[in-house]
Amino acid sequence: MKMEKILEIRELCKSYPGFELKDVSFCLEEGSIMGFVGRNGAGKSTTLRAILNFVHPDSGEVRLFGKLFSQAEDEIRQKIGFASSGVDYYPRKTLKQILENTRSFYPNWDAARCRELMERFGLAETKRFMDLSEGMKVKFHLVLALSHGARLLILDEPTSGLDPVSREELVVIFRQLAGQGVSILFSTHITSDLEKCADRVTYIQKGQILASEKREDFLRHFAAQGSTLEEIMVNLEVNREVQI
Amino acid sequence: MKLLLKKELCFTAAPLSYFFLAFSVMGFIPNYPILVGAFFTCLGIFKTFQAAREGNDVLYTVLLPVKKRDVVRARYLFVALVQMAAFVLCAVVAALRMTVMSGGIYAVNTLMNANLFYLGWVLLIFADFQVVFCGGFWKDAYRVGVPFLLFGITAFVMIGLAETMHHLPGLAALNTPWGMPGVQIGFLAGSAAVYGLSTVLSCRRAEAHFETIDLNL
Repeated sequence: MKMEKILEIRELCKSYPGFELKDVSFCLEEGSIMGFVGRNGAGKSTTLRAILNFVHPDSGEVRLFGKLFSQAEDEIRQKIGFASSGVDYYPRKTLKQILENTRSFYPNWDAARCRELMERFGLAETKRFMDLSEGMKVKFHLVLALSHGARLLILDEPTSGLDPVSREELVVIFRQLAGQGVSILFSTHITSDLEKCADRVTYIQKGQILASEKREDFLRHFAAQGSTLEEIMVNLEVNREVQI
Repeated sequence: MKLLLKKELCFTAAPLSYFFLAFSVMGFIPNYPILVGAFFTCLGIFKTFQAAREGNDVLYTVLLPVKKRDVVRARYLFVALVQMAAFVLCAVVAALRMTVMSGGIYAVNTLMNANLFYLGWVLLIFADFQVVFCGGFWKDAYRVGVPFLLFGITAFVMIGLAETMHHLPGLAALNTPWGMPGVQIGFLAGSAAVYGLSTVLSCRRAEAHFETIDLNL
């Protein structure tokens, strides 16, 4: 069965002083989990920002649900969720205040799901955002992203700062969501999380995509570099001139 | 847009933006540079921009299912609503000082009196805020310091000019409740037009600019 392409990136280019994103292309299908891997500064966040229309590429295009942002900005945002570690929203507001404000923008906000996730993650509505640990902040971002029925989740280092139990919990949630047809693109350094849940792996090195393929194919493709994603990553970065 | 405006008024706004509206009644202080009250209103609004920046408000808002340009428009609407609330208060003060309170401690004033001419200057200070501060902020949707400094400098030049203008030969009547009524009404009407145009044009320019800038997470 041919799956619908939720995200399509074609020949995306963006230049900054000292850094260049070169012809980044990959796509993500419905119900698929893609791990986006690369070293710090490889271009993961810039790519994610371009997908979210925060960064304007010099050339290339990003299609979400078959549409460009310029065609259906608010419609696309209704269907996507974003979570990132290291981003603090309104530190002095309580989680309840943030949730109430956010839900007013989403007609399909699932209050029961929101409550369930808040309980599952041990988040108290009365707490202020600034009082949360880094891991709890990521969980709260995920609650926001998951409560409005997003069809695509874009997650920037979502498991950073989480304890192993919470990471395992998230991996289980990701698998459940993918089973419901939600697509997930997440960047991470913790390759063991990808081993557990990613269907596809996209590897970016110095602003260029080295490979974007099924996890098993990726492991086979780079078998000479190691048998696990971590070994492959370390060896790829140590031997940067590797030819594919 | 309605939801975004509600968010600006009830969620993003710093309480100081509303508390500082009280400075509009500084017009009752005798022998005081009352036009400074308009500056304080803008200072209160600035606190919202500052708090919003610290709370990653722009990032949070552009992730909501809204159009990017509406994020800018909602903030401009918020600014204009606060300014209009301040203007109404200033107008009430001016009306009282032009009528039942025109004598007594207000009879002799080397600085500006609260009248139509004063209200015109209030609108010009607000227009300055729209162009210099708001326009400057939306260039990168991050920096608040330099745009506010520039606004502060230009606003105080305007305040200095306005507070002393009536000392120029032939302009003394501008500082009386009903002197040179044609000039005072014309000045107020002209200032209202400048305010309206500045708000609309600055907002449109900021919207267009905001579409093109790269936002950092």
